[in-house]
Amino acid sequence: MSSWLDYTINGLIVGNVYALVAVGLALIFGVSRLINFAQGSIYLVGAYIGWVAVVQLHTPLPLTIIVVAVAAAIVGLIIERFGLRPLQNSVRIAPLLATIGISFVLDQLVMLTFSPNPRALPSQLPDVRFQVGGGTIGPLDLLIAGVGLTSALLLFVFLRYSKLGWAVRATAQDRDAAMQMGVDVNRVNQAVFGIAAALGGVSGMLVGMYYNQIDTAMSLQATLKGVVAEVVGGAGNVPGAVIGSLLLGLVESYGVAVFGTSYRNLFAFLLLVVVLVLRPNGLFASARQAPPEPLTGTFIAPSRPVRIPRWALAVAAGGFAVLPLFPVSFYVLQTLINAWLLGMLALSLTLVAGTIGQVSLGHAALLAIGAYSSALLSLTFSVPVGLAIIGGGLMSAALGTALISPSFRLRGHYVSIATLAIGEIVSLVILNWESVTRGPIGISGIPPLSLFGYDLISPTSIYWFSFAVMVVLALLQGRLLTSHLGRSFRAIRDDDIAARAYGLSLNRYKSLAFIFGGFAAGISGGIAAHLYSYINHETFNTQQSILALTVVILGGLGNVVGAIVGSVALVGLPELFRIAAEYRILIYGIVLLLLVRFRPQGLLGTI
Amino acid sequence: MSNIDRRTLVKGSLAALMAGATFSRAAFAQSSEPILLGVSGPLTGPNAQYGTQWKQGFDLALDEITAAGGINGRKLAYQFEDSQSDPRQSVAIAQKFVSDPRIVMELGDFSSPASMAASPIYQRGGLVQFGFTNSHPDFTKGGDFMWSTSVSQADEQPLLAAYAVKRLGLKKLAVLHLNTDWGRTSRDYFVKAAKEYGAEIAVTEGYIAEERDFRSTLVRVRDASPDGLILISYYSDGALIARQARQVGLKQLICAASSVYSPKFIELGGEAVEDVHLGTRYFPEDPRPEVKKFIAGFKAKYGGQEPDAFNAYSYDAMNMAAAVVKIGGTDRRAIRDAFAKVKDVSSVIFGAATFDVESRRVKGAMNAELVVRKGQFALWDGKPT
Repeated sequence: MSSWLDYTINGLIVGNVYALVAVGLALIFGVSRLINFAQGSIYLVGAYIGWVAVVQLHTPLPLTIIVVAVAAAIVGLIIERFGLRPLQNSVRIAPLLATIGISFVLDQLVMLTFSPNPRALPSQLPDVRFQVGGGTIGPLDLLIAGVGLTSALLLFVFLRYSKLGWAVRATAQDRDAAMQMGVDVNRVNQAVFGIAAALGGVSGMLVGMYYNQIDTAMSLQATLKGVVAEVVGGAGNVPGAVIGSLLLGLVESYGVAVFGTSYRNLFAFLLLVVVLVLRPNGLFASARQAPPEPLTGTFIAPSRPVRIPRWALAVAAGGFAVLPLFPVSFYVLQTLINAWLLGMLALSLTLVAGTIGQVSLGHAALLAIGAYSSALLSLTFSVPVGLAIIGGGLMSAALGTALISPSFRLRGHYVSIATLAIGEIVSLVILNWESVTRGPIGISGIPPLSLFGYDLISPTSIYWFSFAVMVVLALLQGRLLTSHLGRSFRAIRDDDIAARAYGLSLNRYKSLAFIFGGFAAGISGGIAAHLYSYINHETFNTQQSILALTVVILGGLGNVVGAIVGSVALVGLPELFRIAAEYRILIYGIVLLLLVRFRPQGLLGTI
Repeated sequence: MSNIDRRTLVKGSLAALMAGATFSRAAFAQSSEPILLGVSGPLTGPNAQYGTQWKQGFDLALDEITAAGGINGRKLAYQFEDSQSDPRQSVAIAQKFVSDPRIVMELGDFSSPASMAASPIYQRGGLVQFGFTNSHPDFTKGGDFMWSTSVSQADEQPLLAAYAVKRLGLKKLAVLHLNTDWGRTSRDYFVKAAKEYGAEIAVTEGYIAEERDFRSTLVRVRDASPDGLILISYYSDGALIARQARQVGLKQLICAASSVYSPKFIELGGEAVEDVHLGTRYFPEDPRPEVKKFIAGFKAKYGGQEPDAFNAYSYDAMNMAAAVVKIGGTDRRAIRDAFAKVKDVSSVIFGAATFDVESRRVKGAMNAELVVRKGQFALWDGKPT
């Protein structure tokens, strides 16, 4: 039994660590209704500033904390002023994309300044250990708990009793009304970003000291776990975020206890999905609380889409179709093949995210399902590759829709978070279900693409094949959008209550959208599997989901041509910037930010 | 209208790319040009640290090769393309290299998904893919253009098992491994060998690469009451596990795979990695001349920094590439055939490396049994810790 005490303590200790990030996220969400994907990057910046202070400047701990907090707060203020404030009157999805771009830029800047090698960040506290249960805890554990709890408490007091705190809460409840009452909303946002960033920076430094290790890959993980903890506790609820974090830590620890280490994150994300389904506002949302998302679809505001004449589209498609007849290097063709494959994924996502308003952050899971199904069908059951790919598409449509269906009742950001979790769950199931997926070893020797008995091996034939498949899917989707079905989808996106009043069954239409979208994504995954010949659980990862969403927002939500243009741009740009070597992802992030800044409704506009 | 402008922009840049490719074709065939190797690896993204380590090893080897007169009077050089270890980018890089006639062979990629996704392109394009960190057992099965100097885990893990079981006398083991293709393959070979030597496997735990917190895992380990911990880890996660094992009060011997061999392991692990045992392919006081030259050269070039396992892999890989190009010249097919012909290439990892033509891998890695003493890697003196 003593082991259970140890598991409990360990769960609380790691929950403690998650809480530091979650509190900052909750604060920002509470005021600006924004999941700040850059919070993990501020955490990273804080860790490295802490390293400079401790290792280079030899500052004592209290001074280190102040230096890190001030520096991180400045970074937060800069992000708010130049990254987010210009977007405050644009579509609500634009700031989300901006934070993703900002996190690219910050992570790359840290990596370029400090090199990607991990560094030791020595703790400045005396190394005494207290025996608790079977293990020990040290002063850093207590300090982290202290910082987490104190900051949650201070924030609580600040929000409840100070004038600026009232302003923050008023802004959170109703921005326009607050402005009418004379609240300086910009100042409130500044204050919130400054506080959240200071907290994020200090937490990065403390966690770095805790593990005596900092590296540039720590940012995405911190964001993921922080988001989970925050949403479990009730998005925007600061004390809830602390409790959600501790709960997350406990669930992970007990998960390890019962099923083993490789199931750890599976439990974290299952917890999230269960909480979202049972209590969509989080465990600690009060009944009186205003709904965290608006009831009607201001999340994705319609804009005037750019009209492209049919002949221009036909000419462009014809141009790309005959491209291989010209002396084009295979590298260019391969890059475009990647763009077409990403294009199919983007078509899928633009349908579910743009047309029906379910912004998915776990779309790579659909690729993975399609890829594994197609690979296994062709390898184990010797199904011809062409049929296997279609089988992968069908499997992805069926399984994807089934997995996502519990989250149909969610709205806005919550859909994104639920799909993020479902994406992670699929990847972890692939890792652990070894009898079918071969676990981490992956599937090798997947037969190459072939059609009617002819192998498609040359880049030219693969190019034509993938381009043709994408064009067919795009035409089908274009047809769908102009039909009665497409109008119903958009009606649900724009106002689901009104849509229901007109007798539209929301779940039925959402399922239809996911079935069509899942099929397109599954086909893309299937083709990729046969193109790569080897896949494992890492082939289709979270970064791909984020990339797909970026493509879709960049192209214009719901916009079929936009999804394809976006794919060509986001596959092409990093390749064009190859000349810049280590700097290319930095440039890519900056270009992305500029695009969001000047064209928040996407290149071609929302349809 | 603005949309059409952007479209032309994209097309224009594609045209520029094509023009670039044709131009490079024209510029080829001057013998004063260096012989160019393509490298596909991570310079950004989550595995960026390994790409930077590769570069250090490559650059040191190239300095030595140039100082020795190059390859028949021509310089050897490499073009490093960042793949982020992402299969989408590694396949594009593969086509880039295959269609660039200056590239005579390719080195990399780092992770199995990125490397093996690109293999069909290299195989069909007839360009050697020399994967020097690719331990996945199926990597060289991708075709006769796939060659690897990665130490086969079928070779390495029995050595580690012998160290832990026969020499250190451990009887009941807990195995913690990275849950990747490498970690999983290694675990299976280790467990098989350890059982053959008569040890019992109390528990095995696989963890994902991003994991930071191992305290609950270590409670599981404690409850299985092993007399030794085996870490099939890289240096950063290995250091984390060692620290947390000591923090939760586990005092068992720790024995780790050679991939933790890095000064960073000691920097990150601090006192917790004291007395950790590890099998490696070389060690600082190694009397072998090629190791002395490597370590001295590395320290001189990088301001006293100690080289680690990944530096050694890439240093060896570049030397191997030079040896192969010396025999095979600049013809891609001849280079493939030259891999079967090179004999006893001086190597930090293998001593003298010769490919086994059947498996297209090198067998017989060197073995040294080290222990961390006073914050230094030292040869184990046989004394119990």
